[in-house]
Amino acid sequence: MAEPLTPVPAPGETAIDLHKELAETQVAEVLDELDRELVGLAPVKTRIREIAALLVVDRVRRRMGLTAETPTLHMSFTGNPGTGKTTVALRMAEILYKLGYIRRGHLVSVTRDDLVGQYIGHTAPKTKEVLKKAMGGVLFIDEAYYLYRPENERDYGQEAIEILLQVMENQRDDLVVIFAGYADRMDKFFRANPGFRSRIAHHIDFPDYTDAELMAIGEMMLKSLSYHFDAGGAAAFRDYIAARRKQPHFANARSIRNALDRMRMRQANRHFAHPGLVTLDDLTTITAEDVRASRVFNQDATKPD
Amino acid sequence: MNVLDKKSPPGGKRSRYAAGVMEYREMGYWQPDYEPKDTDILAVFRVTPQDGVDPIEAAAAVAGESSTATWTVVWTDRLTACEKYRAKCYRVDPVPNAPGSYFAFIAYDLDLFEPGSIANLSASIIGNVFGFKPLKALRLEDMRFPVAYVKTFQGPATGIVVERERLDKFGRPLLGATVKPKLGLSGRNYGRVVYEALKGGLDFTKDDENINSQPFMHWRDRFLYCMEAVAKAEAATGETKGTYLNVTAATMEDMYERADFAKQLGSVIVMIDLVVGYTAIQSMAKWARRNDVILHLHRAGHSTYTRQKAHGVSFRVIAKWMRLAGVDHIHAGTVVGKLEGDPNNVRGYYDICREDFNPVALEHGIFFDQHWASLNKLMPVASGGIHAGQMHQLIDLLGEDCVLQFGGGTIGHPMGIAAGATANRVALEAMIFARNAGRDLRAEGQQILEDAAKHCLPLRQALETWKDVTFNYTSTDTPDFVPTATPGF
Amino acid sequence: MRVTQGCFSFLPDLTDADIRTQVQYCIDKGWAVNIEFTDDPHPRNTYWEMWSLPAFDVKDAAPIMLELDACRKVHGGRKYIRLSGFDSTHGWESVRISFLVGRPQEEPGFILTRNEGGGQAIQYTLQARPLPGASA
Ligand SMILES: Nc1ncnc2c1ncn2[C@@H]1O[C@H](COP(=O)(O)OP(=O)(O)O)[C@@H](O)[C@H]1O
Ligand SMILES: [Mg+2]
Repeated sequence: MAEPLTPVPAPGETAIDLHKELAETQVAEVLDELDRELVGLAPVKTRIREIAALLVVDRVRRRMGLTAETPTLHMSFTGNPGTGKTTVALRMAEILYKLGYIRRGHLVSVTRDDLVGQYIGHTAPKTKEVLKKAMGGVLFIDEAYYLYRPENERDYGQEAIEILLQVMENQRDDLVVIFAGYADRMDKFFRANPGFRSRIAHHIDFPDYTDAELMAIGEMMLKSLSYHFDAGGAAAFRDYIAARRKQPHFANARSIRNALDRMRMRQANRHFAHPGLVTLDDLTTITAEDVRASRVFNQDATKPD
Repeated sequence: MNVLDKKSPPGGKRSRYAAGVMEYREMGYWQPDYEPKDTDILAVFRVTPQDGVDPIEAAAAVAGESSTATWTVVWTDRLTACEKYRAKCYRVDPVPNAPGSYFAFIAYDLDLFEPGSIANLSASIIGNVFGFKPLKALRLEDMRFPVAYVKTFQGPATGIVVERERLDKFGRPLLGATVKPKLGLSGRNYGRVVYEALKGGLDFTKDDENINSQPFMHWRDRFLYCMEAVAKAEAATGETKGTYLNVTAATMEDMYERADFAKQLGSVIVMIDLVVGYTAIQSMAKWARRNDVILHLHRAGHSTYTRQKAHGVSFRVIAKWMRLAGVDHIHAGTVVGKLEGDPNNVRGYYDICREDFNPVALEHGIFFDQHWASLNKLMPVASGGIHAGQMHQLIDLLGEDCVLQFGGGTIGHPMGIAAGATANRVALEAMIFARNAGRDLRAEGQQILEDAAKHCLPLRQALETWKDVTFNYTSTDTPDFVPTATPGF
Repeated sequence: MRVTQGCFSFLPDLTDADIRTQVQYCIDKGWAVNIEFTDDPHPRNTYWEMWSLPAFDVKDAAPIMLELDACRKVHGGRKYIRLSGFDSTHGWESVRISFLVGRPQEEPGFILTRNEGGGQAIQYTLQARPLPGASA
């Protein structure tokens, strides 16, 4: 009595309007949103459109009886921290749901600690619990390579890897796994565990953002919080980006988000430090003073603030 | 004497406590500025004054006569905190589309009532006032009980949740049937009907309201044979089964004796009639809680005062009283069956029985917000002229937490009682399955029944036998406010 | 005989696709689905053995179907298996649906014992007959 995942071919259906097909799934809306809300990432956006096109065609082919197999949809997203992997994975879940490749469309994001146990017999139930929660949606494993620790022969990560491989193969209808992390480490991880490589259909690489892109991201983030830079603030933040990039633990858009959080705090304290009334404009403006107080501008700084 | 025709005496207001008669509105029973307190008991009456009687004065009179007033001024009022004890009519609205009738809203101070006593409550609110001459007719439409007052009542002895746990039956309405013919079966023959119906798939069978202890069947015989039938049906199915043994009798002592015997024989449930009276009902509710027995209430006699729109007590008030009083089952209408029951009003009754909070819903006849303060839920029972062919409508309208009683619709099956029971159970399970699987019962109900009948001959026969039976008469008791949404649960 | 406990015992035995619809219904209602099995179908035997912990926080029926498969590998055709949906909402905090998804190949039924005391009253005792092949 369950609904088939794909509709039955309409009798006599010979020519298909792929654009109409796409419109019906409302995937175009998600793709447009992706374009609008995410700065830069041109290669990623192109890859996602290509994958979506493939999946639409695959859907039609299945309907026409040209293929019956559920395609492999597991993916790997590689790139430095803060390049938008998690954000894009959420959109990917939505796209797969709208195309009927997953039944629910949610995303469960985990790291090694969520999968691997502390003692013998702990890992299998832990991994299975996570897999159960993700079924019907997408399992996003951040820094997946930490699962594999060849230096420790008895590492419980191996157990999690085996269960994952099994589910990725046998439960392809039930969930899609996306691995995320640094490109080089992921590469090593896949080379050491060839089982994953063969089960992953799409690799997407997330480039670092340019300074201009990070500036645009920063302005967009501020706008969504009802703040903006004044002219001095904007100039200072451009300098901030250039300086921050050279320092350790730089994490692209995430560093921007964190920096803005602190600048908002400095703005608030600035208002308290100066007696008198504040205007609406005061409350929404980030100035050079709020930006330049950052330790990033301090030559001696060994740690970013 | 006609107090209400009297105009205020010329020469202005006279003193409140001067001897003689005086308008109720002047005596403090009309207080349009009064803001009801959270702790007040509220009532709304439908008042139809005699021709020429001022509606405000009539409404104030209802407040007066249901609280402290008498027909003349008494000086002894001054020995009391009479301001507090006076009921206050705080609002009078014309009834929509009914010239000459008015809704009167009246607030009663909590101290006017004894805790935990329906007898005291009803004696106050409906004691004398319904015979009051200046009114053509009077109807108690709805009441609101403050949480503090609700908490003085036990509430349903078992409640829907524990009843289901005890019976190990979840997720679907329970199925019952009243043993027919109503009168004349011997105990031995009666038990046969019970056995066939339970074995065939019903959860419950039921005594009728007037099955007590008559020459053709004394109560102990009925209990003995019924419990043999119940035990045998349990062994045949692996399910818990029950039969509502009616313990209604002439005295409380007799009722206790019968209930104790039912329990001793292992019955999960006993039954009483509404005509035993509120005090006896509360006594039996306490007995039921003490003895782990479910208490079924048949609303015998209620139509004498609930059915007419102009005069009497609305069934929604009776339903509220019975939830307080502590019965576990109450007949609350079927919408589609043979007995009176407007769909919107019935929806209101079911909500009163089952919800923890009832918001105002004028289109369902509910005038007040009512918190039930975690009192158990009361299982509504749909009974009277329903059959398997209406299963989709019944589940769509009534939901799953109710008992569906198919009396004629079980026992009148052409292939016998067990076949009738099976037909009902298959229809029920197929409908619940389909609903859960996301199908639209209103649009596809007929198809779902027909599909289920393909693997069940008795259901095929039932659908054939009763396919054209409906009871489409206009209800006499309908809400006065137009529904804002389509009816249905 | 056929034990007719649960919501759907009067329907033909449910297929896996059928069971999936009901499990998804429970999940969508926010209920935790539980798999239990027993060799004693007495109606007052409340506590069947739990196959695993109730499935909290899942979004899809798939994981429950997997567990059910695993349970059937061990007990299928030999014991009774049921699914139930538990609702933790205030005022319920109880099972909201329960239905059989597995039965022993042969259902031996129950023994009804009548204990006669004095008078006409009988005390009835219901006992499930042992299942063939099930260890005691
Ligand atoms: N292209 C972008 N445009 C706007 N905001 C972005 C963009 N990329 C990342 N962000 C924001 O940066 C933060 C970190 O992104 P995230 O997706 O978690 O990166 P990753 O998973 O690669 O570490 C999030 O707050 C996200 O909203
Ligand atoms: Mg991330």
